[in-house]
Amino acid sequence: MATFTATPARASFALKPVQVPVCKISNVRSVSLPVGSRSFPSLKARRFQVSCAAKKETVDKVCEIVRKQLALPADAVVNGESRISDLGADSLDTVEIVMAIEETFDITVEEDGAQTISSVQNAADLIEELLKKKGA
Amino acid sequence: MILSRRVVISAMNAVCFKRSFATASSPLVPVQLPSRKEAHLWYVVPDEVKSSALLHNYLDILSPSEKENVFHKRGEQLQKAALLARVLVRTTIARYQINGQVDPRSLKFKKNIHGKPELEWNDDQCQCAPSLQFNISHTSSLILCGVTVDSLIGVDLEEKQRKLKNNILAFARRYFTPHEVKFLSSISDPVVQQQYFVKLWTLKESYVKALGKGFSGLPFRMFTIQFRTAEKGNSCPSGETNNKGEIIVKSLEDVNSFSSNWQFALLELAGSHYAAICMEKDEAVEGEVPTPMKLTVRKTIPYVRDELISGPDAFVISGLT
Repeated sequence: MATFTATPARASFALKPVQVPVCKISNVRSVSLPVGSRSFPSLKARRFQVSCAAKKETVDKVCEIVRKQLALPADAVVNGESRISDLGADSLDTVEIVMAIEETFDITVEEDGAQTISSVQNAADLIEELLKKKGA
Repeated sequence: MILSRRVVISAMNAVCFKRSFATASSPLVPVQLPSRKEAHLWYVVPDEVKSSALLHNYLDILSPSEKENVFHKRGEQLQKAALLARVLVRTTIARYQINGQVDPRSLKFKKNIHGKPELEWNDDQCQCAPSLQFNISHTSSLILCGVTVDSLIGVDLEEKQRKLKNNILAFARRYFTPHEVKFLSSISDPVVQQQYFVKLWTLKESYVKALGKGFSGLPFRMFTIQFRTAEKGNSCPSGETNNKGEIIVKSLEDVNSFSSNWQFALLELAGSHYAAICMEKDEAVEGEVPTPMKLTVRKTIPYVRDELISGPDAFVISGLT
């Protein structure tokens, strides 16, 4: 069960049970927050997400890869929640992004992993998972 | 496959664009179903759809979730393409009415296990031919929908000039088969090499889309696409024009087999795009020579104009011997 602290300004939000899987990786059965985790969700009016594993650094690197691949203007907002198809990525862009991720992080993403990379956050989570496996 | 150019235009009176325009009498020109060996291709050029009133009316055709998907797209151009893609699918299918009119808004879609969209209908909606198969592809500048009766179909579209951010051969080594890497490496002209990369990509995409599996369901390195010229038996980079050689697919799991129940066509569309079409072959009747795929191409602005297209706007590069 995920626990987190709401910032005072948003403490009035009712906390709904998490229905969205916390990390969208198919082979992860249980999710645990690292002890002393610094990353807390930003609560929004409609829904919330918990970044349980991906470091901000990873998310930022993925954002950079996406920006470059899609040649986005400097003022385009790209963050963890950004869905790459909404940013204009077609299937070829997606595969190029996966390839750039492989090179940047020195990992291998199987083709079926490519379909989990629908958002920047998903990509970052998958990267961390693969790095963890590699390090193990 | 050069036909004499015939233009069929059905013009809609502009004042008919009111909220209920989708159900106005004969708004969409109905079309005969494709025959069993035939695929109908319909395409829209987003830049030619300028009227904001028309686009507003198009939005009415979409389901709530489709509308939401459109609005999530970043920027007007992406939103317009997403909108026109759904409009093209819905209006195209609605044209193939067998008993009275089909309201494009009434069509329901579902996704298969890999995410391929399919038609879903209940018994009330038997007006629409139930065995229609379709597939769609779009870039920011062209939207394509392919329709068949009964045969699985996959279509993929890509701008001819599409450049990779990565090196072509590095990309091919990572995702394509050794045979395809060898083929691309043998092309010394970088422009031709880039074009053949795009052709291979679209053909491979069209195959996995026809199968309903997509890139994730069937990795591209599991099957090889080969171009075969009419004279030679081996694949080699064929010339750009007038070579209507065969395109075949071979599974790498069983190198000696062909996936002979799939046929391909590669077209140049609107002068700017490669379009790959993959279609399930009709079962050859014993003794009959299997006939090649027949394609009918139409350009459309739904509710405004339909145009039957032949070369040079729909130019078959290879695959229809």
